[in-house]
Amino acid sequence: MTWIAIRMLTGDRQKFFGLLFGVAFSALLISQQLTIFVNLIERGATAVYNIPTANIWVMDPVSRTPDVALPMPSTALDKVRSVNGVEWASPMLRSGATVRTPEGDLEGVTVVGVDDATLIGLPKKFVNGSREALYEPDAVIIDSVGAAKLFPEGFDPIGVRLELNDRRAVIRGIVDVDPSFTSQVILYTRYSNALAFVPGTRNRMSFVLANASEGLTAKQVATRITEATGLKARTRDEFARDGVDFIIENTGIPVNFGITVALGFIVGVAIVGLTFSLFIRDNIKQFGALKAIGVTNNKIRMMVAAQALLVGLVGYGIGILLAAIFISSGASSSPDFKGFYTPWEIPLLTAAVVIAMILITGWLALRSVLKTEPAEVFR
Amino acid sequence: MNRLRGVSFVRTILPILAVIAIIIAAIVVMSGQPDRSEEQPEISPPKATAAFGNQPSVAGSGVVEPSSEVINIGTSLAGIVTKVYVAPGDQVSAGDPLFLIDDRAIRSQISEASAAIAQSRAARETARAQLATARQQSSLYSNIEDPRAVSQQEVIDRSGAVRTAQAQLRQAEADIRSAEAARARATTDLGRLTVKAPIAAEILSVNVRPGEYANPGGPQGGGGDPYMEIGNTAPLHVRIDIDENEIGRVEMSKEAVVSPRGQANQRVKAQFVRAEPLVTPKTSLTNSATERVDVRVLQLIYQIPSDQGFFVGQQVDAFVRAKNGARNGAKKASETK
Repeated sequence: MTWIAIRMLTGDRQKFFGLLFGVAFSALLISQQLTIFVNLIERGATAVYNIPTANIWVMDPVSRTPDVALPMPSTALDKVRSVNGVEWASPMLRSGATVRTPEGDLEGVTVVGVDDATLIGLPKKFVNGSREALYEPDAVIIDSVGAAKLFPEGFDPIGVRLELNDRRAVIRGIVDVDPSFTSQVILYTRYSNALAFVPGTRNRMSFVLANASEGLTAKQVATRITEATGLKARTRDEFARDGVDFIIENTGIPVNFGITVALGFIVGVAIVGLTFSLFIRDNIKQFGALKAIGVTNNKIRMMVAAQALLVGLVGYGIGILLAAIFISSGASSSPDFKGFYTPWEIPLLTAAVVIAMILITGWLALRSVLKTEPAEVFR
Repeated sequence: MNRLRGVSFVRTILPILAVIAIIIAAIVVMSGQPDRSEEQPEISPPKATAAFGNQPSVAGSGVVEPSSEVINIGTSLAGIVTKVYVAPGDQVSAGDPLFLIDDRAIRSQISEASAAIAQSRAARETARAQLATARQQSSLYSNIEDPRAVSQQEVIDRSGAVRTAQAQLRQAEADIRSAEAARARATTDLGRLTVKAPIAAEILSVNVRPGEYANPGGPQGGGGDPYMEIGNTAPLHVRIDIDENEIGRVEMSKEAVVSPRGQANQRVKAQFVRAEPLVTPKTSLTNSATERVDVRVLQLIYQIPSDQGFFVGQQVDAFVRAKNGARNGAKKASETK
């Protein structure tokens, strides 16, 4: 009986492909827009996730995100180290500066100063150069997206001298990190160098990076730090979340993308619903005939469900593959999409949406069939 | 008809392709997940747990210094430096010469004074001879019994000549003492031109070279390095800054654990020496002239054992024992609210 249903469905190629297109298009639209939305707001968390070594970030109580931070006095580092349960702590400076390239272009940069001795706070992946290069005088390490922004394509920036706030800075390496939301150029340097690069204010240290001792969770130690020092301590995931929330609160991105995702859903429902109900209405005589030969309403429901699932499966398969390839090829080729990935939840969510969509339209179309008299076939 | 074709594209191949597409999409998605794993730092940072196990501790940063503290050598006389006797790293005993300032002027003063002494001595001889002559002549007159044989005038002249000769002798002796005093002063100055070590110490830095001008007030302009820095480096001390908010937690007179910057695995136990009685503004090591400071620190002095490879001026990370159960300042404030 299911086989008859499938043949009924695929009998009219035009309608069948129309249905497939509708499902595939809305699956593509929903998953791709959701993915770009998630990735865009996760740019607020890249500064945290780019540093693999620290699981606690300590900051002034008024600091909100990696880029919206009030510096602390230098003894805050010792205060954090003194808290029982802190395995280690190291200073970090994040501050804006302007840089002038040898061509004379001006560019805003984020200077990140990492601990002189241990270089904690430096990203893991190097495109070019090594960690040790940072020990050279006036050395900075640039991020790959920033290098692409500052220099023409195919240009090797190693050894290039920059003018950073009137001081000499020499690029000694390139790291592979995900760009931040503002996708400013990031220059990593040692803490003592960063103090010289960034115009002086009274307090300089933006963050203290810390790690919890064995046997304690980051959350427990963060609570202890806050209790003991009065500073704000956030675990890695909490602070990443803070960066994301900051973007959600301060930009129109969630609304814009929410509208697009809703439109994808509505377009999908409209196309699939209309085509599907038209298709069923066209075949109402056949359903009548089936009823006449004694097929129950349940059997007919099963038939429509089988038709819906086939359309859903094929349409979803096409749509999700296109979305996945779009994101992964975009991430590997364009600096604008660098670091973009498809969170595994989104294909599942899209699948749920497609199933819901197809079942709703199927159910709506089915209502007329269920009411059909077997005599319909003779009209 | 379709059945005769065997495999239907739409009904068989398309669903299979759809399943394959979903599998490929799943692989693409799963392989693209970001790497957010945590990892240990490549270079180990200083760790409180490694210092005292799970005991509470107070962290501070410090600088290694000589146990005598650094002595900036000055000079008491100005002049061109002609000789530097020591090199950085030398061990000197108390009184050993460090450098010499041009002594030609003083030496000529000494020979001048010596010449003046010789001259005064010659004058004394002359005065003595005159006195002897005057006495003989005077006694010649006084031996004549008849007063009418000599005039009164002659007698007065002779005795006056004796007194004059005596005064000249005293004058000559005073001149000798004066010239001797001048020579003694010049000799003292000659000694002062050689700058000597005040204590047994190691030469830490030498910033003066022959030909340079040394001033009693330190290098001209007030800035600049001292001429020489010395200090007793056996044993070395370390001066640890503790944030004023943490003072109440520090367990005084217990040992501390210090590690040189960048070598957190080298943990050295240091013995408590003293706490500075004055809480001072934190010295920042960025050397920025515009720097303002609002943090005050208590300075604790600890003694580090010898042969640990520490150098004077080296920065260290330190952990000091905290009182058990001592609460932090911030905590107390919130409790008393």
